Amino acid sequence: MNALLAVLWKDLLTEWRSRDRAVAMLLFSMLMVVIFHFSLPGGATTETRAYAPGLLWVAYVFAALLGLGRSFAIELENDAIEGLARAPVDRGWVLLGKTIANLLILGFVQAVTACIFALVFEMDLTPVALELIGVVALGSLGLCSVGTFFAAVAVRTRLREVMLPLLALPFYTPVLVAASRATTALFETGSVSFEPIQFLIVIDASYLIASFILSDFVLDE
Amino acid sequence: MTAVIARELEKRFGSTIGLDRIDLEIPTGSTMAILGPNGAGKSTLLRLIAGLARPSSGSLEVGGESAHHRTARARVGFIGHATGLYPELTARENLIFAARLRGVANPGARAEEQLAEAGLTRAADRRTGGFSRGMAQRLSIAVGLIDEPEIVLLDEPFTGLDRTASDRLVERLMGLRQSDRTLVLVSHDVTLAARLADAAVVLRRGRIAHRESGDRLDPTTLEDAYSAASERDVA
Amino acid sequence: MANPVSNQEAISTAPVANRALPISGAVLAVSAAIWAYLAYFAPLDHVQGLIQKILYVHVPCWFAAYAGFALTAVCGALYLWKNDERFDRVAVAGAEVGVLFCTLGLVTGPIWAKGTWGHWWAWDPRLTVTLVLWFIYLAYLLLRSFTEGSTRTARFASVYGIAGLAAIPLNYFAIELFGGAAMHPDNLERGSLGAGMGWPFAVGVLTSLLALLHLVLLRVDLENRRIAANSTATDWDSDEGF
Repeated sequence: MNALLAVLWKDLLTEWRSRDRAVAMLLFSMLMVVIFHFSLPGGATTETRAYAPGLLWVAYVFAALLGLGRSFAIELENDAIEGLARAPVDRGWVLLGKTIANLLILGFVQAVTACIFALVFEMDLTPVALELIGVVALGSLGLCSVGTFFAAVAVRTRLREVMLPLLALPFYTPVLVAASRATTALFETGSVSFEPIQFLIVIDASYLIASFILSDFVLDE
Repeated sequence: MTAVIARELEKRFGSTIGLDRIDLEIPTGSTMAILGPNGAGKSTLLRLIAGLARPSSGSLEVGGESAHHRTARARVGFIGHATGLYPELTARENLIFAARLRGVANPGARAEEQLAEAGLTRAADRRTGGFSRGMAQRLSIAVGLIDEPEIVLLDEPFTGLDRTASDRLVERLMGLRQSDRTLVLVSHDVTLAARLADAAVVLRRGRIAHRESGDRLDPTTLEDAYSAASERDVA
Repeated sequence: MANPVSNQEAISTAPVANRALPISGAVLAVSAAIWAYLAYFAPLDHVQGLIQKILYVHVPCWFAAYAGFALTAVCGALYLWKNDERFDRVAVAGAEVGVLFCTLGLVTGPIWAKGTWGHWWAWDPRLTVTLVLWFIYLAYLLLRSFTEGSTRTARFASVYGIAGLAAIPLNYFAIELFGGAAMHPDNLERGSLGAGMGWPFAVGVLTSLLALLHLVLLRVDLENRRIAANSTATDWDSDEGF
């Protein structure tokens, strides 16, 4: 547990000092929202609003992949990853600490993106804000848990950040399907049934447990 | 009690053999020097003891536990080739992080101690990204020793150090020796190794080509063994 | 000084894969012949016509694709547990052969679909999951290609194989519960299994699994030879490892 907090603190502090990840992710998702607006015919209409939840998640996924890819790049600079590998704890805690840090940074970017989205698509999200935060948090936990795990793998390959989306895709699809369904329900009806939420919880739990167990192998040299 | 026991230790990288059935014992409180040319397996051996990789076969025990296990990793400090520092964090923060990660009781206080010991107190709040090579190396050693480990592994720690820093490091190592720690030192400097160590092995192509131990190691025999290990095979 | 090659021989499984090849090849040939015969002479489906016979290829491919991945995942787990690189050789063989069957399945499926329902594709659970499987295979093979160091490659690949196996049911349930698209004409297939159609399917599945086995053995044998050839040429001054 100490190790988890130590890693979380370190990652957040490093990010605060350089801010390069958060800024890149934010710029990227803002860019995406603008591009969506221009590429969809007619701007904000009832038809395009039907696509809004899906597009929002597209922006979220790409922002996540960008940030996750970079989260291990700092560890490789001076082989700091060895210090993590040698920590006298289950390596799962180290990865979990990084996952939470990634989740928090992503969360910040997602909040800002959602606001811009609401503006561009002329939607009022305030009535569903709380539920939306819940759904996005659950979905993002799925994205970050499996994403951090595979980032540790991807960063040690020759394709580095390009390998991450490839590895993560089959694991992102269930999250996307459920989260997008839940978000659509929220936007259209103002409430969401328990089914997709339950499924997201199951996915998150599976991903977290599996990455905890397998983390030992991933942090070996 | 033996700090490190290797039996039939083997490490393969695909079809290449990095370590070829090594048998080695390092008694607690002793200092072992590992010598040999590049590619002989010195770093591989050290990294296995540090728990950074698993053996392909054979056994490697550190303090009675398998080296890769987290309880064994808790006893071992490792100072490798790279500094392991985070450039965006200050010297102090790097030390505090390492202390927290390794479960040190009073991270802040311990960090101050190590900063003083490494002569980096004035640079404590500077980001390590701007450190000179020597400063980075000194800090990296401080980080490696932050939890006062029983067993200290050093992979060519004198690289990049100037005369003053070198002398300071030798003093530090002697101090560690006196406090009953086990040291394992990889070095190219045979004379220094002979001076510091109680025992030495010379590796050649993954095997132990020469062993020596005793009160006073003879640098000449070690030098000869090293040279012999460095010779290429005559076809 | 001991000959480095002598250490390699202990690792090689050349005898096993090599000896088994002629047997598996023979059995496969027999099974394939029977299957071809049965498929050719099977009665025509009165609803779908001739095109239904593609299913005799499509369904077996599907079985082999999943069996291939199961093999890869299981061998990956065994490799991590036992640290025996022979398991990794079987794992990579399973993946390379499995992806072929998966591709074949994904090609024959739409051909049949276009001929019967009129669409090339539908995003129903079974089809989508098989597509996801194909992506998992792809990611697995690319991961192997772009990782340096054979121990690291084997380790990463094993982890991904195990993880991939878990991804399949998750994707299946996700799409079944929340996908909301057309149903795989399961009913069509099963319902129209009239007399004389059961056997070609069964033998077809058997044949594809035998084909999987034979090709995996072939690939493992190839890998064994490649490693044996490399080890005799090992340059001790190379910097692999340290």
